[in-house]
Amino acid sequence: MLRPLRCSGHLRALNILGYHARLITSQATYDKNADINALVFTASETARKSVGTGPLREVSVAVKDNICTSDMPTSCSSPMLRNFHSPFDATVVQLLRSAGADIIGKANCDEFGMGSLNVYSVHGPVVNPHEPNERRSAGGSSGGSAAAVAAGMCDVSLGTDTGGSIRLPAAYCGVVGLKPSYGVISRWGVVSFADSLDCVGIMARSVKQVQRVFGTLGQYDYRDPSAATPETREKASQACSRSMQEWLSISQGGSLQGLRIGIPQEYFPAELSSSITESLRHVIDALQSRGAQVIPVSLPSTPYALSAYYVIASAEASSNMARYDGVEYGLRVDPPPGADTTKTANVYALTRSKGFGKEVQRRILLGAYALTADAFDNYFLQAQRVRKLIRADFNKIFHVANPLNSTHSPEPQSEVRGVHVLLHPSAIRTAPPLDDALIRDDGLEAYVQDVLTVPASLAGLPALNVPAGLAEDGWPVGVSVVAQWGCDEMAMEVGKIIQEIVP
Amino acid sequence: MLRVGQCLLPLSRSYCRCVHTTRLVKEDPRWPGWNVVVGIEVHAQIKSRQKLFSHALTSDLSEPPNTHVVSFDAAFPGTLPRLNPKCVELGVRTAIALNCQVQRRSAFDRKHYFYPDLPSGYQITQHYAPLATDGTLRLSEEDAVVRIKQIQLEQDTGKTTFDPRRRISTIDLNRAGTGLMEIVSEPDLRSPEEAGEYVRALQALLRSVGSSDGNMEQGSLRCDVNVSVNRQHESLGTRCEIKNLNSVKFMMVAITCEAFRQIELLEKGLPVIQETRGFDEASAATFSLRNKEDAPDYRYMPDPNLPPLLLDQTYINTIRQSMPELPQETRSRLLAQGLSERDADVLMAIDMGREVGYDGVLGHGAVAYFDTVSRGRDPKVVVNWITHELLGQLALRKETFKENRFSTEQLGELIDLVQSKRITGTSGRMLLRHILTHGSSEMPSKLAEKMSLFVSASDSTSLETWCKEVIEALPEEAQAVRNGNMNVLNKLVGRVMKTSKGRADAKAVRNALQDLLSTKM
Repeated sequence: MLRPLRCSGHLRALNILGYHARLITSQATYDKNADINALVFTASETARKSVGTGPLREVSVAVKDNICTSDMPTSCSSPMLRNFHSPFDATVVQLLRSAGADIIGKANCDEFGMGSLNVYSVHGPVVNPHEPNERRSAGGSSGGSAAAVAAGMCDVSLGTDTGGSIRLPAAYCGVVGLKPSYGVISRWGVVSFADSLDCVGIMARSVKQVQRVFGTLGQYDYRDPSAATPETREKASQACSRSMQEWLSISQGGSLQGLRIGIPQEYFPAELSSSITESLRHVIDALQSRGAQVIPVSLPSTPYALSAYYVIASAEASSNMARYDGVEYGLRVDPPPGADTTKTANVYALTRSKGFGKEVQRRILLGAYALTADAFDNYFLQAQRVRKLIRADFNKIFHVANPLNSTHSPEPQSEVRGVHVLLHPSAIRTAPPLDDALIRDDGLEAYVQDVLTVPASLAGLPALNVPAGLAEDGWPVGVSVVAQWGCDEMAMEVGKIIQEIVP
Repeated sequence: MLRVGQCLLPLSRSYCRCVHTTRLVKEDPRWPGWNVVVGIEVHAQIKSRQKLFSHALTSDLSEPPNTHVVSFDAAFPGTLPRLNPKCVELGVRTAIALNCQVQRRSAFDRKHYFYPDLPSGYQITQHYAPLATDGTLRLSEEDAVVRIKQIQLEQDTGKTTFDPRRRISTIDLNRAGTGLMEIVSEPDLRSPEEAGEYVRALQALLRSVGSSDGNMEQGSLRCDVNVSVNRQHESLGTRCEIKNLNSVKFMMVAITCEAFRQIELLEKGLPVIQETRGFDEASAATFSLRNKEDAPDYRYMPDPNLPPLLLDQTYINTIRQSMPELPQETRSRLLAQGLSERDADVLMAIDMGREVGYDGVLGHGAVAYFDTVSRGRDPKVVVNWITHELLGQLALRKETFKENRFSTEQLGELIDLVQSKRITGTSGRMLLRHILTHGSSEMPSKLAEKMSLFVSASDSTSLETWCKEVIEALPEEAQAVRNGNMNVLNKLVGRVMKTSKGRADAKAVRNALQDLLSTKM
C-alpha cells in the first residue's frame, strides 16, 4: 500500500498516469518520501523516458524546487508560486538532460532558499533521513536535495547555496555538497534570492560523483551576466593545476607531502559543540599522518561576516522579491469589493501578505530597510566594505592568487607559501530536532547556523562539505574544504582524500 | 550677451554654477525683474533593434499589445539581464556628440517602486555611476551653451491604460525594457523659448547620430522640466519639476505658466514649495502631483547581476572616429559648398524627417541625397534641382521626401543632360514629372531618346522649320513683331515651344524667330 505523500496535490502527474508500474522510482522511494518529505514533485515517466546517452546516463537527479523546469512546477516552496510552471528549463537542467541524466523530481527547500533548517516551506518541513523517527531537521535551505541523496532516492541532487544552503544540509544529512566558485555554474533559470551570492551546487554520496556532475555543469553560459568568462576559467584552471602539482602527483603513493592545509582560528566560535571539534580533529590527524602540513591561519574579518551577509542577502532578497506582485504570474489576491485601490501598494499588499511566509517577509523588511536612503550607508555600504575585507583575508592566505583580481600580485615569497585549502567544521552542531526551541523561536539565533558558511559565500569561493563520521549523538558531522576562487577541483581532490581516510 | 564658454573647462561643478548664475539675461517683458531658470531631463528611447537587457525586439505603437515580450521583460523568476552592446554604442555616440566625458567605468543600479507596468518592481538605471558626464550643447539661435550634467542608460517601463468603462487597467509590456538614455541638463536655460530650442537641437542631434527617433508625438522622447524663478541679482529659487511633457509646444506653455504661478506666489510673499507637478494641456496649468515629503524612497541598490560596464579607450576612440556628422557640422559644410542659408535649412529640415535606422544604421535623408548627387557636379545647380523641382513636384503630389523614388542616379544624369544642353531645361522638368508620375526606374537618357527630347545637331533645321510653320500659322502676330512689337514675340516663342514639345530651347527659339522676322523685313 502506497502511503499518501505529505502534499499529494503536488504529484498530479503521477495521479494522471497511474503510479503503479509506470514509475521507475521504486515503491520504497515513495515510502521513504512519505517519511522525510524530500521531494515535492515527481516527474512522470514520459518526461523521464527522454533520457539520452551522455556522460550522465542513468544518473538519477533531484532538482531543488527553486530551479526552473518546464515540465514540472517550480514552487520555490512558496505559497506565491505554488502553482507556477516556468516556461523554460534552467541552463543546469538543460545540461543535465542533454548529458542523459534522469531527472526524477523537484526537491523541497526553504521558501525561496531563505532558511537554514528547511522548515519554512509550503510543503512542510523536510525530515532528516538519518533516523526519521527522531524527527530532526535536514538543514536548509536545500534540505530536500540533501535528504533525497542521503535516503538513496537519487544519485545526485542540485541545490542552491547563498550562505550555506548546500553545505549545512549536506553536513546534517551526511552527504557531500559542493558550493562551487561563484559564476562557474550558470544561474539562468535559478530563481534569485540574492544574486551576488547565489550558486547552484551539487550533492551526492561521493565526491567523485559530485566531480562528475560538476564536469557537466561547470560551463560558461552567455545568458548569465555574472558567469566567469572562458578566459578566466582557463586562467583559474591552469593556476589550480600548477598548485596541485606540488602534492597531487605524490599523493598517489599515499603521501600528502606538499599539501598545506590551513585551519582558520576564527571558525571555532563559542557556539561550536565539542563533539564537532572532535570529529574535525580526527580528520586533521589522519591528514597529518599522511604527510600533509597543517597550518593555523587567521581570517580576522570573519566575526563581521554573518552581519554583513544578512544585510547584503536581505537587501538583494527584498529587491528580488519585488516582482511577486500578483500581476504577471503566481498567486493573486484580488482586493475585496470597496477596497481602496487608488494606490498600487494597497493592491499588492494583499497578494504579498498572503503569498510570502514569515521568514521571507522578515527578510524583505530587513532588506528594504537596509536600502532606504537613511540606512544605506550604515548598513548596505558598510556590509559591502566588510565583504571586501573578507575577500582580502582569503586572498592573503591562499597559495593560488585570485584569478579575478586583475592586478597581478607577485608570487608569495618562499617562506610564506600560502595554504592550498582551508579546513573547518561545516556547522556548529549536528542536525537540530524539528521541535527544537531553535526552530520554534523566530529570533535571530537561527541565523547563527550559518556563521561558518557565509564567509566563503561572501568571497565567492568554492566550498565542499565532506562527511566526517558521526558525533557522540550518532548524527552526521561534516567538514568544509574551502579553496581559492576557481580551484573547485582542488577542493574536490582534498575532499576525495578525506572520504578515503574517514572510516 | 555673456558667453559661458568658461564652463566648458573641467572646473568644479560649484564653480561652474557660480559662473553661470552671472549669465546676463535679457529682460523678459513677460516677467520684468524676474529670471526664469530651467533644467531639462530628457528620456530618449534608444533606437536599437533589441531591448536593453533582453533579446525581445523593440516595437512602435502600431504593434499589438504584448507581442514584443520575452520572459525577462515580464520579470519571470529565473531570468537574468544581458546588456545589449548596441545600446551602449548608441549611448556612447550620443555622449560624444554632446561633448561628454564617457566614463571608462559605469555601473547599473536598481530603482525600486511598485507599479503594474514595472514587472520586476525595479527599473535598472545608472544612478551612482552614469555612462557619461559633463557635456555641452550649443544653441545657435539663442547663442547659449547648455551644460549636460550626465547621460545614463536605463530601462523603459510598460504601459498601463485605464479603461474607465470596464474599470480595469490593461498592461502592455511591448515597451517594457526598451533602452532609454536619460540626458540631464544643468539649469542653464533662461526662457521657455530656450528650452524649446534645446529640445529641438537635442532631437536633431540624436537623429543625426542615429541613437533615437527623438519623436515626442510617438513617445520616444519625453521631457521632465525643472523650473524656478528668482528676482534678478538674487540666488536661484526653489524648483518644481513638471513631469511627462510630450510636445515641445506644451513644454513651453507649461514652463510659461509655471513661471507665472511661482512669480505670483512670491509676489504675494508666499513660498514656492519643492514638488513634482503635472501639466494639464486643456487648462494650460500645472497641478501638484506630490511634494517633497511624499517623495518615494527608491531604495537604490547596485544591480547584483550586472558587472560594471568597463569601456576601454580604444572602444571609445573607434566610435569617436566613426561618428556621423552632427547637425551644426552639416550646416557649415553645406554653406561652405556655396548653398544659401535657405537651401541648407530646407535640406536639413527635410533631413529631420528621415528614417532613423536600428542599431545606429544611418538613414538616408535629403542631405545624403544631395551629397550623392552633388558629387562631381555643381552643388548650387544640384540643390536648385532638389529644392525647386524635385521637392516642388513631391509637394504637388502630397508625397514626402521619404516616399521619393526618384533615384540619385536618375537625378544626376538628368542634371548632366540639361547642363550639357543635350536636352533643354523644359525637357528635363518634363522628364522629372514623367518619372515621378510613372514611378519609372528608367534612366533619363533612355527616356529622352524614346521621347525624342535630345537637342541634336540637326535640330537647328527643325528649329527653323518649327519657326517657319509658326510664322505661317500666325501671320498677324508675325507682322506685329516685324513692326517692332516685341511683346507679341513671346506668343510666337510659346507656340514654337509647344510645337517642339519642349525640345526647343526657348532662347534659341527667340533668336531664330528674330532672325527670321528681321530677314524678311
